[in-house]
Amino acid sequence: MSTSKQNGILKARVLEIQRMSTEDGPGIRTTVFFKGCSLRCTWCHNPESISPKPQVQWIGTRCIGCRTCVDVCRSGALSLEGDGMEIDRSRCIGCGTCAEECPSTAMEILGKEWTLEDLTHEVIKDRAYFEKSKGGITISGGEPGMQAQFVAKFLKSLRERGLHTALDTCGLCSKEAFDLLLPYSSMVLYDLKETDPEKHKKFTGETNEKIFQNLLYVSEYMKSHLYPATLWIRTPVIPGLTATEENITGIGRFIAENLKGVVDRWELCAFNNLCRDKYTRLGREWMLKESLLLKKDFMETLAGAARSSGVDPGIVFWSGSTRLEEDPLADTENVAE
Amino acid sequence: MSVSALKKDIPGIKTPKSLSARISWLRDYYFKGTDRAWNNEFTSWTTGTPWDVQFNEMTFYIVPEAYMLMQTMLGSYRQAARKVDLDKDFWSWSIVERRAWFVRETMLHYVPKEILPGDLIAGGRFNIQSSFCLNKKEQKTYNRLTVGKNGARARMKWFHDHGYGNAGATSGHLIPGYEVALKIGWKGIHEDLEEKYSRLANKEKSGPKGEQLRAMMTAATMPRDFAAGYAELCRDLANKEKEKTRKEELLQMARNLDRVPWEPPETFWEAIQALWISHMLIMSDENYPGPGISFGRIDQYLLPFWKDSIEKGMNREFGKEILKCFWIHCNTAYDAMIRNGNQGITAGFGQLITLSGMGKDGKDLTNDLTYAFLEVIDEMTPILEPKPNVRLHRNSPDELLDRLVDMISSSQGAPFLLNFDERSMAGMMLEAEKSGISHLIHEGNVYDYAPVGCLENTMVGNDRSGTVDNNLNLLKAVELAMTGGRDLLPYKNPMTGKEEKIAQDGPVTGDAASFTSWEEFWNAYKTQTEYIIKKCVDLYECSESIRAKFFSTPYLSCLVTGCAGKGLDVTQGGAEISHTTIEAVTYATTVDSLLAIQYLVFDEKKCTMAELIEAMKKNWKSHEVLQAMAKNKALKYGRDDDKADELAAKVMELWCDETWKHKTISTGRRFRPGMLSWNYWAGDGYIMAASADGREKGQFLSNAICPTNGADINGPTANTNSVGKVLGGKSETAGCWEDYVNRLPNGASHTITFNPSIIKDPEHREKFKAFLRGYTENGGTALQMNMLDPEILLDAQKNPQDYRHLLVRITGYNAYFTTVGRELQNEVIQRVSHNAF
Repeated sequence: MSTSKQNGILKARVLEIQRMSTEDGPGIRTTVFFKGCSLRCTWCHNPESISPKPQVQWIGTRCIGCRTCVDVCRSGALSLEGDGMEIDRSRCIGCGTCAEECPSTAMEILGKEWTLEDLTHEVIKDRAYFEKSKGGITISGGEPGMQAQFVAKFLKSLRERGLHTALDTCGLCSKEAFDLLLPYSSMVLYDLKETDPEKHKKFTGETNEKIFQNLLYVSEYMKSHLYPATLWIRTPVIPGLTATEENITGIGRFIAENLKGVVDRWELCAFNNLCRDKYTRLGREWMLKESLLLKKDFMETLAGAARSSGVDPGIVFWSGSTRLEEDPLADTENVAE
Repeated sequence: MSVSALKKDIPGIKTPKSLSARISWLRDYYFKGTDRAWNNEFTSWTTGTPWDVQFNEMTFYIVPEAYMLMQTMLGSYRQAARKVDLDKDFWSWSIVERRAWFVRETMLHYVPKEILPGDLIAGGRFNIQSSFCLNKKEQKTYNRLTVGKNGARARMKWFHDHGYGNAGATSGHLIPGYEVALKIGWKGIHEDLEEKYSRLANKEKSGPKGEQLRAMMTAATMPRDFAAGYAELCRDLANKEKEKTRKEELLQMARNLDRVPWEPPETFWEAIQALWISHMLIMSDENYPGPGISFGRIDQYLLPFWKDSIEKGMNREFGKEILKCFWIHCNTAYDAMIRNGNQGITAGFGQLITLSGMGKDGKDLTNDLTYAFLEVIDEMTPILEPKPNVRLHRNSPDELLDRLVDMISSSQGAPFLLNFDERSMAGMMLEAEKSGISHLIHEGNVYDYAPVGCLENTMVGNDRSGTVDNNLNLLKAVELAMTGGRDLLPYKNPMTGKEEKIAQDGPVTGDAASFTSWEEFWNAYKTQTEYIIKKCVDLYECSESIRAKFFSTPYLSCLVTGCAGKGLDVTQGGAEISHTTIEAVTYATTVDSLLAIQYLVFDEKKCTMAELIEAMKKNWKSHEVLQAMAKNKALKYGRDDDKADELAAKVMELWCDETWKHKTISTGRRFRPGMLSWNYWAGDGYIMAASADGREKGQFLSNAICPTNGADINGPTANTNSVGKVLGGKSETAGCWEDYVNRLPNGASHTITFNPSIIKDPEHREKFKAFLRGYTENGGTALQMNMLDPEILLDAQKNPQDYRHLLVRITGYNAYFTTVGRELQNEVIQRVSHNAF
């Protein structure tokens, strides 16, 4: 577990705190993205959340070319060339000195450490908006279950303050982690991505058995406890991967057979390509970088399939951007669908 | 895709809808601007003396764009002036009596009367420049005080050129007692004046009190006789009219004018007619079209007429038709300088109407007329006047919020400003306490406050608070603290190219380079803040005292409670509540500069004070690393950062406390604090030297209470929380209205630009409504909501450094716009253009 303890103080590594979030559960929310994930999804739109370690990135538009970072790097991992910053990730130890010294914040360290007290103080600042919107705080990632010790204490402190909490999980973590987190989660946002275990392994690096088992575990827990009171299932709809009627129908059937009356909402989240540059900044190739957004009709069709899969049709929603009529990319690039 | 191709895709701005043929014609005609045969351009009128002056330059001392034109305006209005034949006793009267008579005479017998085709409201031309009505000796004194060596004009220019801001006794900017005028009619107002006059001792009658009341009595008959002239015109037109319906309309208008505004109106139509004439004649009286003469709680005081007329069979749509005619009339204020281009529209004039809001015991007062007004706004938009200001509070109904969000989503931005009652009322209660006027503002009436101009809160019908009269750049005190009381850069005259030598101007606060602690610097800043406020107060006194002596407005004074009782013109401090407001400009730039100095020089020791001053003198040239640190590494106001906001609150407290200490000498008006900052934050950015927050000379300063451009990287809630905190937040012990604290009774302008995806579907609209309810709890006094538009995004592509805060978030994905690549940026622009999220 990557929750760290320094001088006896429990700390967590947090990628980002997003305020006035309107996409991570009911109402207005503050979402805390914990760093480190148990899956490696091909389509991950927050790739910087995968590694549990701190990572540096360079944002070109902010750089003033002063070379301070290059000079202060003790590992010799940085070089500023014609095309921009080269970060030798095999050398970088993530110490963050470059980010600390960079005068223009072009060098950023992703994954700062937070104490429980500071993080709690930070996220309750928007309490007024939570109360007016029936919103609250969403714990997301990465996979928050990977820092369960900390997250449990964090959730507890929020619940004790009467705040609504949502646990956003990919489903792949230990039962012990769920045991720690569920008692303090007002609701759960749970990802179901792919029914076929082989494909799931191909897309995410792991098979899906444990994810489905854990979901049943969560469901059983909910039946015997007051909280979590609400369960939303979320399915990323990725062109050429999860975006098949067969998959959607399969997930629907699973929900209908095993989670009747427990799931309040099943959201199909359309593929998003806006994260393309994040991969570049992290120095990684992205398999889906050429993929176009899905068409609206296609999302409607999939939502139709979801509604007729046996679930209560009223729980099916879809969200996200779809392809514009004249996609600027479609004119110039020859991309296979 | 090229930028031009993207621009082409931007859908057109909202167009008006559901307009009748009558209103469509009037609206289209209005927008023909200089191509119109009829307009309401200033006409100029003289007593015929060779020394006569019409143009009141003092009212433009707060408009830097007008400085270069002052002499031209003065000369051209004089040249164009037509003679008004004077009463034989004219020169034996006091100035105020002369002025009352002259304006009345001009409006009744010289300015042409016309009615546009289909118009339901009479009262066309009102823009005049009328004689100061001074005799030779008086005029000479006035000239010496204004344009003489070291006169008001020269002092005002020096203040502006050296980056302090501006100040001047300005017309408009109040809410006249329209409610009373509708209740008792001008007849009632006149009777009251007669009674007050008759009670004066003979000695008083022959003194200034008697002069003032006689002038006001003369002025109070102007609306009666003016309406009679228009009644006659309506009958003439009716006689010539062949079309039956129109003929009947004109006859009804004549019958309306026979009664109002002298008698109290009985129908909604009469009420609007009475309101319009009462209003337009103020603009004649002040020679000042529109700015800030606001209507107050119009959906409250017109409601009895609306209800009654509807009960008696007025068609609701016809009621709206009358309002739409009223809308057109309000916009003709801009005709004053129509030949300046852009149809004379140089900036919003701000004839505000206030809608909704709370009443006694926190009860919401939204009613059918509120919604009728909103419909009219929606159907007439885009059009500038009158400007709607919707008051929200804890108990505002959901239906109202739904309506507002609908309007925002169809207008790509809000066609109204929101005012927040609890915070605003806390400020008014503070004002009552600070000025010792708790008998005039208290829990039992504070809910009847209303904004004027843009968002400046005042009471109604008895309050003139000079809400735009003093505009002070707080940042100047930081500069003076760094230099020990001298300008950082020498002033260069743009006409002659000559550079002035830098002189000691502010108090000597010592060599900042020798300061060893932040506290030492803060103390210097404090001393300089006290100094710039005093300097502003002294400058204001120049034009305030001249106006009090030479430019009275007796007609307006009839509509301001206090003037008749005291026998004092409103320009002499006659109003029961008589303040003048210092509107602080550059607040966030000031706070961020102090934070940067604290960080760079004292806390982190990234540089010495001497190095920082040197970098600022060089406008950061060759000091780019230091500039980047100032911009990016120091804390900033507007991020809900406790430490930054604590200093911000301290800055706020300091300048507010200092402001309350002062009063005008000539008129006894106390200074109160506010944050309006009209467009000075842009223009003065070219005057003020580089600032310690990394801003270069020539870049914009911060606007009103908003964070500096691009600083609010934590989104709208954090931005809002910072604003609420520096106003005083909430306190169980120190709350002025319930637990709300508000250091700025005038209120503070706050603008937030939202991503339109926030209102993309019903679920998100609910979230947006909840945000507004959250704003009521945590935010400021007034909010302008803009929606991100493609233009902004295109600008962000070009100037990423100014848009660091621009967040794009679409389903689970979040990134700052400027950090995604060009192609994807273009795609986001496409989406915003087409509202496709």
